[in-house]
Amino acid sequence: MNLTTVEGMRSEIFVPVTPKPVFTELKKPLSECKVAFITAGGIHKKDQTPFNTSGDFSYRVIPFDTPSSNLMVTHGGFDNSDINKDVNAMFPIDRLHELVAEGFIGSLPEETYTFMGGGGNVEKFRNETGPEIAKKLKAQGVDIVLCTGGCGTCHRSATIVTRCCEAEGMSCCVIAALPPIARQQGAPRITAPHVPIGSNAGEPNNIPMQTAILKESLEWVRDCPSYNGLKVLPYEYRHNV
Amino acid sequence: MSITKDTLQKHLTDPAVFCCRRAKGTVIGADDLEDPTLFDDMVDAGLLTLSDDGLTIEEVLGSTLLQDVEALTPITKDVLDKVNAKSVPAEAPAEPVKASPAAPAAPTAAPSGTIHLKIDKLEGLSLDIPAGTILGAAGPLPAGPTEKTGEKKVIRKLIKKHIKITDVEISDKTAIEDGKIFIDGSIVEKAVKEDPLCVSMSLDVIYPDKRHVYTDTIMDVAPIATKVEGELGEGVTKVADGVVFMLTGVDEDGVQIHEFGSSEGFLDEKMYFGHPGCADEGDIIIRCHAVIKRLTGMTRPGPFAAHKCEDYIIQAVRNELKKYDGEVVREEVCEDLRRKGNPRVVLVKEIMGQGAMHDNVLCPNEPCSVMGGQKNVDLGNVPIVLTPNQVRDGSIHALTCIGPATKEMTRHYIREPLVEGLANDDELDLIGVVFVGSPQVNDEKLWVSDRLGSLLESLDIDGCIITTEGFGNNHIDFIQHIGQAGKRGIPVVGVSFCAYQGQLVVGNPYADAMVEENMDHGGFENDVAGCSCVTKEVAARAIQMLKNKMAGVPIAAAPKKWDNAVINANNKLLGLPETVLLDKGTLH
Repeated sequence: MNLTTVEGMRSEIFVPVTPKPVFTELKKPLSECKVAFITAGGIHKKDQTPFNTSGDFSYRVIPFDTPSSNLMVTHGGFDNSDINKDVNAMFPIDRLHELVAEGFIGSLPEETYTFMGGGGNVEKFRNETGPEIAKKLKAQGVDIVLCTGGCGTCHRSATIVTRCCEAEGMSCCVIAALPPIARQQGAPRITAPHVPIGSNAGEPNNIPMQTAILKESLEWVRDCPSYNGLKVLPYEYRHNV
Repeated sequence: MSITKDTLQKHLTDPAVFCCRRAKGTVIGADDLEDPTLFDDMVDAGLLTLSDDGLTIEEVLGSTLLQDVEALTPITKDVLDKVNAKSVPAEAPAEPVKASPAAPAAPTAAPSGTIHLKIDKLEGLSLDIPAGTILGAAGPLPAGPTEKTGEKKVIRKLIKKHIKITDVEISDKTAIEDGKIFIDGSIVEKAVKEDPLCVSMSLDVIYPDKRHVYTDTIMDVAPIATKVEGELGEGVTKVADGVVFMLTGVDEDGVQIHEFGSSEGFLDEKMYFGHPGCADEGDIIIRCHAVIKRLTGMTRPGPFAAHKCEDYIIQAVRNELKKYDGEVVREEVCEDLRRKGNPRVVLVKEIMGQGAMHDNVLCPNEPCSVMGGQKNVDLGNVPIVLTPNQVRDGSIHALTCIGPATKEMTRHYIREPLVEGLANDDELDLIGVVFVGSPQVNDEKLWVSDRLGSLLESLDIDGCIITTEGFGNNHIDFIQHIGQAGKRGIPVVGVSFCAYQGQLVVGNPYADAMVEENMDHGGFENDVAGCSCVTKEVAARAIQMLKNKMAGVPIAAAPKKWDNAVINANNKLLGLPETVLLDKGTLH
């Protein structure tokens, strides 16, 4: 073959490496822990300003006593119909209250923080939004932070903020529909149910599945031996779009 | 950690840093140096501080250390007996060179010893020995039978006749007369009956000099093209020249039908005119505006309804175009062909397959239409092979998801620069275009990618280019696809929008020849339709990188951060125009 070649070309896109480890060991039984749940999946209260779907590094304050019926999604990166059916598919607030009532976890903080991680500005999330959310959670005495992302860049933003929380001294886990992103971006711990993006915390209205995903993710926070550990969860749901 | 000689060669111009403590008298070699690819992480972790006085690896090799130096210390001239001269980077663009590296090197020396020939009984032997052959003598041997390579064999031909259109009027009849398209305004009543989710539809005409008008989000741009002879990919197709359809849409509550950002605003500011998926500077735009049922914008059926109803209207115009014998401004001859002996290459286009608007209609009855086609989501997003001609004859109707800037609209595919570039390159043998959907479930992404890997292997290709529209979760499969080719030893080039906002979320070692599509100033997905897509320049860089990779000519590693200067340096090497970034002030 005869091919025209040109010396001196350079690849134009950087291929990433996983960042440095960050890991805070959990030192309490789950039943005594204060557990927060954050999400990059674009959840907010119906009376709050919706997120800018093409990228937004702001966050919303969600009091944990907000009824799930007052929450909605604004996110452009995936099919929203599952969350429209049941917000617990991304942000399992009802399940968390049930876990407290059951005694599986100790308590919930007064409020949590949600954002829309799609297309998220890496520097802003790493240096501003992430540290701010982490400080606010830590100030409420939170021990464990669970997090969901929605789309691909959402998982990146979710992981960045989760890393900030871990660095602030809380033990965290990303519940990932796209585990390779959470791994590559350096999530401290990862659980991976077999779910589509948009229902990361389980099938809408499937209470047993949502509860099991939450419980096993919490157990993974307790049991994960080291940084970036991934546990695949045996729950499968297909969203027939 | 010291580095290997291989790593050393790749990083001659990177900073020289001791990996471990080194004593006075050490003669510096690869064993003494730290791997430059780790520097960013080490700097981040506070383990290393690079110095402006630090020397490069090529400057310190073979020099002797005059004092003891601690680990992770940049090497400076005051600790060395001598400093080597820097290599001079080539200033002028290197002239393209023809290389034929794939041909096995001919042996330069003949095997030693004698040739022993023993014939016990011989009768009627007739030997023809080619002139110049000296058995057993020293001299180059032919590498194999010399056959003509790259000889063109045409499989099928497609003629696209571009018919001149000079005006469009919404009137009371549908017809084409003297270069003017008339569309019956009442056709929208029939069109909306095509799908119950479409509530209403309206049509208007936007002339090139009157584009400063408000538009709702641009869902798609589609040409008017129709078959007059043969199937998609062969025979004769008529394409209306100087006019396109543009689909816009909202739901009943006025919510824009969009996913990753929308492009509503003044039309002249919201489309990258002239890019493959967009209207050209002089095109008349027939705007078809759809209103769909409440809350269906982010589901699969809603946006599809808008496309389907629009297509009903376009079909009415197509039917008129079939009959119309107007002025042919351009006749485009497209050939599916083999160039046997040339490197076999395929183009892989990863298309969206996550549902809602993340979907495409493949191989419809008419160019760029909806009827008769199959959606890649329904097909399980498995790889589908089309011929270059089928693609160039409008086999893809894009339901166009993601952000405005990175989506590839229907018009993009009928004139895809990579398809054109590869098909017309007489050094290559483009054997097909593979479309593979990007599913929304991680397991399915990997499953689909495995299927693509087997396909690439069975096609026995020498190289491939893999593109993806959008960014984020689809980059998982994109990188996985690159890995499928890479691990089989197939040279591969990746093409995507990444820049700042879309920087890769995953990676593997095979993604070492990558072409950036970004044309936004900040490296963001902006709100200008078709801004950051495959253009002629992107295609030219990708094809050249593939040739380099196939011929074994190195492509330097990408810098750690997106830098448009790298793209422009490549442009300059290839004699391409500069990539000028559009400053929309986007900063999400």
